[in-house]
Amino acid sequence: MELKELKDKVKEIQSELKEKEIKEKNANPLGIAMKMGTEFVAAVFVASFIGFYVDKWLETTPVFIIIFFIIGSVAGIFNVVRSSKMINKD
Amino acid sequence: MANPMNQFEVKTIGPKIEIGNFDISFSNASLFMVITVATISLLFIFATQKKSLVPSRLQLLAEMAYEFVAKMISETAGSKARPYFPFILTLFLFVLFCNMIGMIPYSFTVTSHIIVTFALAIFIFIGVTIIGFVKHGFGYLKLFVPSGVPVVLLPIIVVIEVISYLSRPVSLSVRLFANMMAGHTMMKVFGGFVISLGLVGGWLPLGFSVALTGLEILVAFLQAYVFAILTCIYLNDALNLHH
Repeated sequence: MELKELKDKVKEIQSELKEKEIKEKNANPLGIAMKMGTEFVAAVFVASFIGFYVDKWLETTPVFIIIFFIIGSVAGIFNVVRSSKMINKD
Repeated sequence: MANPMNQFEVKTIGPKIEIGNFDISFSNASLFMVITVATISLLFIFATQKKSLVPSRLQLLAEMAYEFVAKMISETAGSKARPYFPFILTLFLFVLFCNMIGMIPYSFTVTSHIIVTFALAIFIFIGVTIIGFVKHGFGYLKLFVPSGVPVVLLPIIVVIEVISYLSRPVSLSVRLFANMMAGHTMMKVFGGFVISLGLVGGWLPLGFSVALTGLEILVAFLQAYVFAILTCIYLNDALNLHH
């Protein structure tokens, strides 16, 4: 009998925790903004990095860094759209 | 007054050791990594020593950590990711304990250095890429070719997808590092305000400091969680190839 009561209590607390978890997941706009920011910047950074070294290699400065910067920006927007889709799915 | 960035300085402890051009001396960063690993190991050794049906608090803590990660993996990456459970659990606990031990005054936050987080992220990135190629062969390259794209746009889309894939380790590491460094700098700055404003005006920043400490503990947990869950998501991409 006691064990059963304990079981019910555990279940109750667990469901409460779950609700809290869901609330916390949604109630963190700063974290989401931070995530989006890094997603975008990372893509631009990586692409520009590649562009810079391709330029250095082919001695065509600044053709490829400009091209890759633009591609990187597009990729960054892709990343942001993708991760926002993931948040909406949750 | 102490510089708020002083806390991130890496100092050598003991003799200087060099191999080739690499300085591999034992530093305060290494010391705190050792402390982190030792804390986790001791916690789990003691917690699982007496496997009672009604668990003690310590055992409950270990079981909670285990279940938390197990649930996270099965929810995000499915049952195929089960063999990688030890790795994800280790990763999650390491980042979590590094963050949390960094919250203790006068300690050192290992994860506030980009080289540490980037090393973790690039390891995950290379590992996941290898797993992808092993499981799917060259079919893994289909990850870069989304279905339903006109052939004309394909070259551009593939380049974009490749860059987006390559940016993963950067965003993964920068997020953890930036959060930890910003938080600790901010706490130090507000702590400095308390001292410089003294008894008259120091109460407001002191209040902020207390609130920030709470927030930082939340961030420390959240960032460890995010780091682990993103690893699971990348693993999911490698294991269950689809669009």
